[in-house]
Amino acid sequence: MNDGVGIEIERVTHGYTPKRGRPMVALDDISLSIPAHEFHALLGPSGCGKSTLLFLIGGFQKIQQGRIHTAHGDVCAPGPDRGIVFQNFALFPWKTVIENVRYGLEKKGIKGSEAEQTAKHFIDLVHLNGFERSYPAQLSGGMQQRAAIARTLAIDPDILLMDEPFGALDAQTRRIMQEELLAIWRATRKTVVFVTHDVAEAVYLADTISVMSARPGRIKRLVHASFNRSEDTAVFKSPEFTDMVEHVWDMVRDEVDEARRQGH
Amino acid sequence: MTAARIDRIIAGMIGYLPLVILALIWEATTRLGLVSPRMLPRFSDVLGAFLDLLQSGELLTNAIASLRRALIGFAIAVCTGTTLGAGMALVPWIRAALDPIVQIFYPLPKSALIPLVLVWFGLGDTSKTFLVFLGCLLPMILSTYNGMRGVDPLLAWSARSLGASRFDVVREIMLPAALPQILTGLRTTIAFMFLLMVSSELVIATNGLGYMIGAFGDQGSYPAMFATILVVTALGFAADRAFLALTDHLLRWRA
Amino acid sequence: MGVLRLVLRMSPVLALLAIWYIATSLGMIKPFLLPAPQTVAMRLWRDIATGQFALNAGLTMYRALMGFAIACLIGVPAGMLIASDRTVRWFCEPLISVGFPMPKIAFLPVFMLWFGVYDLSKIVMVSFAAIFTVVAAAEAGTRGVDRVLLWSARSMGASRAAVFWDVILPAAMPQFLTGIQIALPVSLITAVAAEMLMGGAGLGGAMLAAGNYADSPGVFAGIVETSLVGLLAVGGMTQLRRRLLRWHPEFNPR
Repeated sequence: MNDGVGIEIERVTHGYTPKRGRPMVALDDISLSIPAHEFHALLGPSGCGKSTLLFLIGGFQKIQQGRIHTAHGDVCAPGPDRGIVFQNFALFPWKTVIENVRYGLEKKGIKGSEAEQTAKHFIDLVHLNGFERSYPAQLSGGMQQRAAIARTLAIDPDILLMDEPFGALDAQTRRIMQEELLAIWRATRKTVVFVTHDVAEAVYLADTISVMSARPGRIKRLVHASFNRSEDTAVFKSPEFTDMVEHVWDMVRDEVDEARRQGH
Repeated sequence: MTAARIDRIIAGMIGYLPLVILALIWEATTRLGLVSPRMLPRFSDVLGAFLDLLQSGELLTNAIASLRRALIGFAIAVCTGTTLGAGMALVPWIRAALDPIVQIFYPLPKSALIPLVLVWFGLGDTSKTFLVFLGCLLPMILSTYNGMRGVDPLLAWSARSLGASRFDVVREIMLPAALPQILTGLRTTIAFMFLLMVSSELVIATNGLGYMIGAFGDQGSYPAMFATILVVTALGFAADRAFLALTDHLLRWRA
Repeated sequence: MGVLRLVLRMSPVLALLAIWYIATSLGMIKPFLLPAPQTVAMRLWRDIATGQFALNAGLTMYRALMGFAIACLIGVPAGMLIASDRTVRWFCEPLISVGFPMPKIAFLPVFMLWFGVYDLSKIVMVSFAAIFTVVAAAEAGTRGVDRVLLWSARSMGASRAAVFWDVILPAAMPQFLTGIQIALPVSLITAVAAEMLMGGAGLGGAMLAAGNYADSPGVFAGIVETSLVGLLAVGGMTQLRRRLLRWHPEFNPR
C-alpha cells in the first residue's frame, strides 16, 4: 500500500439487541477517513462503540449498514492485512512465545528457519529476548502484551488495530509500552487505529483523535495533534501537551457524564 | 539414581503410608478376633488368595475380558462424543437437533440401561461393551460441548486475523483451548467406565472381574472376593494416576 | 407463543418418537427388541394406576436419598476437617485418592455380607459410592476460600465460629454444591444397580426381573420411570443451588 487513504469508513451504522431489552444503536452513521501511515486514536467513554468500530474494521463482526474499505478492497472477513492487538492479549496459552509469533508466519507459508529468524527478530524488537520458550502464563501482563504485539507485527500487516492494548497494565509498564509503540510505529509507518479511553494516552500517541460521543456512538470531533511530536519523552511536561490534554478532556467530559446517566 | 530422585521416591512412599497402616489395622483386628473371619477375612489370607488367583491365571484372563469390553466401548464413546460435542458447539442445526435429546437422556441413571442391553444383546460381550458406550457417550458430548462453547472468542479472532482458515481455527485453536475441560470430562468418564463395567458384570455376565466378585461372594470364598475387589480398586487407581500424569503433560502450559 | 416455542425446541425428540412409532408399526423391528411406544405408554400407565410405580419409585428414591443424605452429612464436615488439619489430611488424602476413582459398586457383595440384603446394605452402598465426591469437593472448596475474606472478617472482630458460619461456609458453598450435585446422580445410579443385584422391590429390581423374563415393555417402561426419578432429583438439586447461591455471579449475569 502506498500513500492515500488507509481506511475509508462510509456511513456505518451498527446495532444489536441484548438478550433482555430493547435494540441498541451502538454506532450511528459513522463516516471517517484515516490516511495511510496515520496513528489514529478512537477516544470515548465506555460503551460508546469504539471497540465495535474497531471490530468492524477488523472484519470480526458483520457490517450491518454502510461499508468499510481498505487498500485490499471492501472489508468482509478478518485477514492478515489487518493485525489486531487485544486488551487481554489473546495469546494462545498452550503455545510458547515463539510458537505464538510463528503461528501467523506459518499461515503465510513461511516455515522452518526463515520463520524462526523472523519470529526471533520481532521478539527482539519488543525486548522479549530470552523468553522465547516461555508459556504466556509464565509472563507478566506487560510481557504478554509485548508477545502479542510481536505476533501481530510479524505478519507485517498494513493496518494495526489496537483495542485498549495497555488497559490491563500497571501505570509504569503502560508508559514504557507507549514509548516503545511510538518507536515501532515510527520505524514501520503502519496505519494504526488505537482504541482508548485515556485522554493523555490518545494525545501522546496519535496524529489524529476521533472523540466519540456516548450511545448512540457518533464521531463528535476530529482533533489533530497541535504540538511537535518529537521522540523526546519530555513531551509530557510541555505546556502544549498539557493544553491539548485539557482541551480534549473538556470534550470528553460531557460524554462521560452522559454515559454515566445511561448507566455505564 | 540421583539423591534428589531417591528423596522423591521416599517422600512418595511416606505419602502412601496411611494405606499400609490401614492394612495393618485390618490384619490386627482379624488376628485379635475383634472381627469374625466370616465377616472379614484376614488381610494375609486375602493376599494369599490373590497370589493363588494370579498363579492359576484366572485373574489375568478375567481382567483381560473385562478391560477389553470396557475399553472398546469407552474408545467408541470418546470418539463419537467429542465429534458430536464439537458439532453441537460449532454448527447451530446440530445443536438444535441434539440438545433436547441430550437434555432428555441426561438425568437417566445409567445403570437403568443394564436390562436394556440384556434384552438386546444377551449375556455376551456386546451387551457390556454397548452399555459402557452408552454410559460414557453423554458425559463426553457435554464436556466437549461446554469446553468449546467456553473458548474465548478473541482467541479465534486472533487466529483468523493471523491468516488462519475456519477449519484451522477449529483444529488449532478451539480444540486445544477446550482441552482442559475435555480432559476433566474424560476423567469422570473413565470412572463411569469402571463403574458400568463392574456393575454390568455383577448382574449379567459369565466372566470378568465383576462376575468373579459376585461368584466368589455366592460361594462364600471371601478371601478371593476381597482380593478381586482390591484388584479392581488398584486398576481404577492406576488408571486415574496415569490419566492425571497425562493431563499434567498435555496441560503443561498452564502456570 | 411459549408453548409453540417449546414444541419447536423439542421437535427433535418428537421426531425421534415418530420414527420409533413408524418403525414399530411397520414391523421393521421385532417388538421384543423395541416395543411400540404406545405399548410402553400403556405399561407405564398400568404401573401408575396400580400404584406399582409409586411403590418402586418411592423405595428407590428412599434408598438413594437416604444414602445421599448420609454421605453429605458425613462428607462435608469430613472434607472441611481434612482441609484444616494437617495430620488428618496426611492420613486421609491417599485414602481419598484411591477411593475417588475406584468403582465403588465392587464392594456391594461385601455390604451384603455385612448388612444383609435389605434396605440397610443398599443405603450403606449408596453412601459409600457418593461420599468420596462430597469429601473431595468439600476439601477443595474449603481450601479455596480467599484468605483475604478470612482476614477481613477477623479484622472486623469475628470470632472463629463466626468466621466458619459467615465466611467459610458461604464462600465454599458453590464447590460444596458442585460436589453434591455430582454425588446425587451417582447415588441414583448406585441405588438402581444395587437393587438389580439384590432383586426385590424398587425400580432396579423390577427392571431386572422384566429383563430376565424377556418382558421388554417392562424394561422400557422401567427406563422411563427411572428417568422421571432422575429428572425429579436433578431438577430439585438445580433449584436448591439457585436458592442457596442467589448472591453468586453464576445467577446474576451482567
